Amino acid sequence: MDYSAEVRQRFSAPTRVGEVPADSVEWVEGSAADPSLAVWIRFQVQLESGTIRQARFRAFGCPHTVAAADRVATEIEGRPVDYLQSIDWPLLARQLALPREKFGKLLRIEDALAACHAQARRKQVS
Amino acid sequence: MASAPIYLDYAATSPVDPRVAEAMAACLTRDGIFANPASPHAAGSAARRVVDLARERVGALVNAAPARIVFTSGATEANNLALKGMLAAGGQLVTTRIEHRSVLDPADALAARGAELCLIDCDREGIVAPEGVAAAIGPRTRLVSVMQVNNEIGSVQDIAGIARVCREAGVPLHVDAAQGAGKVPLDIEGWGVDLCSLTAHKLNGPKGIGALYVRPGLTLEPLISGGEAQLGVRAGTLPTHQIAGFGKAFELAAATGEAADLRVLRDRLWDRLSAIPGTRRNGSRERSAPHILNVSFPGVEGESLRLALEDLAVSSGSACTSRSAEPSHVLRSLGVGDLLAESSLRFGVGRFTTADEIDRAADRVTAEVKRLRQVSEGAPGWCSS
Repeated sequence: MDYSAEVRQRFSAPTRVGEVPADSVEWVEGSAADPSLAVWIRFQVQLESGTIRQARFRAFGCPHTVAAADRVATEIEGRPVDYLQSIDWPLLARQLALPREKFGKLLRIEDALAACHAQARRKQVS
Repeated sequence: MASAPIYLDYAATSPVDPRVAEAMAACLTRDGIFANPASPHAAGSAARRVVDLARERVGALVNAAPARIVFTSGATEANNLALKGMLAAGGQLVTTRIEHRSVLDPADALAARGAELCLIDCDREGIVAPEGVAAAIGPRTRLVSVMQVNNEIGSVQDIAGIARVCREAGVPLHVDAAQGAGKVPLDIEGWGVDLCSLTAHKLNGPKGIGALYVRPGLTLEPLISGGEAQLGVRAGTLPTHQIAGFGKAFELAAATGEAADLRVLRDRLWDRLSAIPGTRRNGSRERSAPHILNVSFPGVEGESLRLALEDLAVSSGSACTSRSAEPSHVLRSLGVGDLLAESSLRFGVGRFTTADEIDRAADRVTAEVKRLRQVSEGAPGWCSS
């Protein structure tokens, strides 16, 4: 398996692994899994007035999964919460040089972030 | 400065011993013994003497008559010759589910041509009971084929016991001893083994050379024909330098008797790795070859583990299948789940492995397993199954 330089870097030294601070007032969590793909992903997103202040993740999966999760977690910080629904996944796949057979794992990351977004919306409504 | 890479994949192949390389080099150039061993002139006779000496050295390590050793391109060809040579006219092949692909694939090819195939199960430690072999033998059984040492998990079969039940049933026994020769006792003629595959490159010899021992009186259909053939079953000019290296490698293995040293290194590695929580050893502890250790790391995804440890030369499953996405058929036969099989590593120690390398490798594995488990902290239980 070939890995791009960014995948190697983010896999060997991910910067967003973990949880948001325990004393966070406003935060949401979303997870997704697919045992047939050997992937599990969980995101925690700390919010502040509708803006993503920081994002953290845990992942069981291949190097591409870990790298993509780290890249996304980095990218969404500082963005409005609705950005979780407008990530350009095909572009991300190209930027990380993800092999086609790994696209299914990217979908699980998308699912986890969609769960975060839905929870954030529910909290806003309530 | 980066530390030297650590090679712990001796079960896949081993570096050529300098003394072996020297013996080979003496058979390559114009000032050496390069002539065709089949040639009747003096130079040919000198090459023939080199080949004869190698046959003696190979035979001495495994207790086989030198005259019954047929040189091949390796154990894969030897396995193919044994199976296809014995079942050319059909009949039943009895073998095990944990054989190397160089037995299972020709077995499948024979089955596709109409031969009957009976695959015996092993127990959860990778051991095949002689009674199980006896029960599988039927009136149409033409050959039983059982590997001596499993290449992935190192389990050692009771070849003497299996040979006994085959002899009682009047069915020839083929043994793939590619991993066993020089590492565990192998007494081909004492045990009554009929066919036995050997290779040089697992014992610090060159790649591209192996042998099939053929018991007197056994008739095989050749795979390769074209002129004079060894025992009538394998044609082709003998590669004197490869054969000289093969013989030297087996002579050195007999002289060094390194199995005890390898076991110490292997056990040192296991002592260190077993300190990692949840680590599981695959295969038999009591009946294991001294140079192979197979370990699963629950909660660590296999591909991630392989990339994290790419500076460490180890195998995930068998070397021949580690580039495949399919989990190891051997670990599956032991009842190991697919995810756990994917997170398994095979370590192979050898003649040039040092205790320092073992410790450094154990440190690297420990650190990366810990790191990857931190990344996946909180993952559901199926990630560890």
